[in-house]
Amino acid sequence: MDNDTSERLRRLRGAVPAKRHNARTVAALTGNPGCARRAVLDAAGVDKEQLARHVGFPAKFGQSQFAITRGNAFEAQVKANAFAELIRLLRETLELELNEVGQTDLEEVGGNTSQEMRHIRSRQKLTGAAADGESTFFDHPLLTLDVGGNTVYLEPDLVAFHHNGKFHVVEIKSFAVIDDQADGGKVAAAATQSAVYVLALRRLLGDDDAVSDEVVLVCPKDFSNQPVATKVDVRKQLIVLQHQLSRLSRIEKLVGELPPALTFDLAAGDDGKPTRSAAALTAALAEVEARYAPDCLAKCEMAFFCRKEASGCTATLGINVREELGGVETVAEALGLADGSLIASDSQAEAAAMLRTTAEIYGSVTA
Amino acid sequence: MTSPAEALERRIDELRAAVRKAVTAGERDRARELRKELRRLEDAWDEALDELADQTERPVKPVPRQAGPLLPLREQVHQALTLLGAPAAPRLIIAVHEAFHVGEIIPARLTSLRRDEERSFRTAPHSRPYYLCPALTADLLAPARGLLAVSTWPMANRVIGPLSPRVDFLISAIRLAGHLDRIPDPSTDARRLLWRFAANIPGAAPSAAAMTPAAVADAAEAELDIHRDSDRSHREAAAKRAREQLDDIEQLFGSRLRGVASTGS
Repeated sequence: MDNDTSERLRRLRGAVPAKRHNARTVAALTGNPGCARRAVLDAAGVDKEQLARHVGFPAKFGQSQFAITRGNAFEAQVKANAFAELIRLLRETLELELNEVGQTDLEEVGGNTSQEMRHIRSRQKLTGAAADGESTFFDHPLLTLDVGGNTVYLEPDLVAFHHNGKFHVVEIKSFAVIDDQADGGKVAAAATQSAVYVLALRRLLGDDDAVSDEVVLVCPKDFSNQPVATKVDVRKQLIVLQHQLSRLSRIEKLVGELPPALTFDLAAGDDGKPTRSAAALTAALAEVEARYAPDCLAKCEMAFFCRKEASGCTATLGINVREELGGVETVAEALGLADGSLIASDSQAEAAAMLRTTAEIYGSVTA
Repeated sequence: MTSPAEALERRIDELRAAVRKAVTAGERDRARELRKELRRLEDAWDEALDELADQTERPVKPVPRQAGPLLPLREQVHQALTLLGAPAAPRLIIAVHEAFHVGEIIPARLTSLRRDEERSFRTAPHSRPYYLCPALTADLLAPARGLLAVSTWPMANRVIGPLSPRVDFLISAIRLAGHLDRIPDPSTDARRLLWRFAANIPGAAPSAAAMTPAAVADAAEAELDIHRDSDRSHREAAAKRAREQLDDIEQLFGSRLRGVASTGS
């Protein structure tokens, strides 16, 4: 990224520190690649949650405290007694040899928990793993990933090193696998998050082949606390993620098209509230095009704002509708085309024909 | 407050004295009257005593739990660690204590225990027969996260190399199995504790119900054979380093790697 662009992004963010990414937010980047608003705000490190609150659309966002506690308790249980349960599971899933039980705790370095220290030590231990062969399990290593010019620290639950020279990312999640089936959305989210770790680990080792593109997902089985391990292929997520990250670093083009004075400065005044008015920020947001989809509600802090903005548009009805009705922007337009009160342009002809047919069938059924 | 029984006792004593006086004074009729009254009171006293016994019988049950061996916390932890024979996490220490002893250990108190032990050693070194101290990591000789050990153990048992967590897990399983074999009627808690080990040792037991301590010990011993030598050499080397490089306090409580910020101020 050149200096102009980083200077430009700094100005967009204003006089506040950049919001740090984590594995979840990096994973969420892959959610809606077409959204320029999200790309710009994320690249600039704007605190989207605060921004959304300030313009009057607070998002009830983030993990519930209960979910976090449950997740931590399950992880502690699986890792208790020298990883006893994990060792059994990974011996089955990864076919670890009996002698592969070495463990390295990377959660602190001699009582020091600073991120820099932990990262240096994680790097040391992980790059040396193949040579010394002492450890098989690396507990909470701290990895880094460059996201749009900012260094993001990432902490996988566990990295396992197999005797054939492959690293496996192990992700411990507390959602249940019932009758060998888990919630598709949750698995997808876990897979994307793990893909972020795989990518970070590959960058750290400088060797793509050293890290398996299959991650191990450890979840509770059925309605018990008994853990069960499953391999999940994250190749697809990796491709999307890599594309998305390379796109972030090509943010120049997006930023270049914005008015030069644009800023989302949230700097607080004496009363602790942002000095700029909500109206000014709303106007600034309108300068950057969003691409709202119902999916956003689960992934992006700005979603409620964008949904309001997009009300009456076909996009709010979901990606499927948006794609079926290519060229038809609003719901009113679609209804007009359906009852024949609007004449379709060339680009709308196909969608218009489909709308008319649907209207006829619907009319004949309800008549 | 005097209980009815006490009041009756006093009245009985008075009556007895009165009976004696009446007999010695030759007042036969009065003596007979008083004796009748005395017998009535004695029956009432018996009844009051039975009632008293009923009242105290009910709260008798929880007494053994409260009264249990009122050992200090550090003694209880020492007992559990001695049974396990290897450094252990607070959670496991509590589980062992609950399986074999009465009373409960409050997890939060274990956290402060380690600090108290270190403070006690610093103010009066070597004044106690043993100290509870953290296990040390083999590479940095720093306190290992969440593992407690006993100061009287050899240095090599108190340092933790990469293989040591698993080795200690297997040693603890063998020790637990041995202990279960010795006690005549192990509690459900105790068997459940051993099962938590057995379930994760290859070939230890087909199911919780079919588990025998001897088979668990054999299976743990078999896996231990694989790791023992490399773990031992690693730990011995680290222990040697610790004895050479660390002072008395650090040998027990570990050396801490301080951040630049904290040494700079």
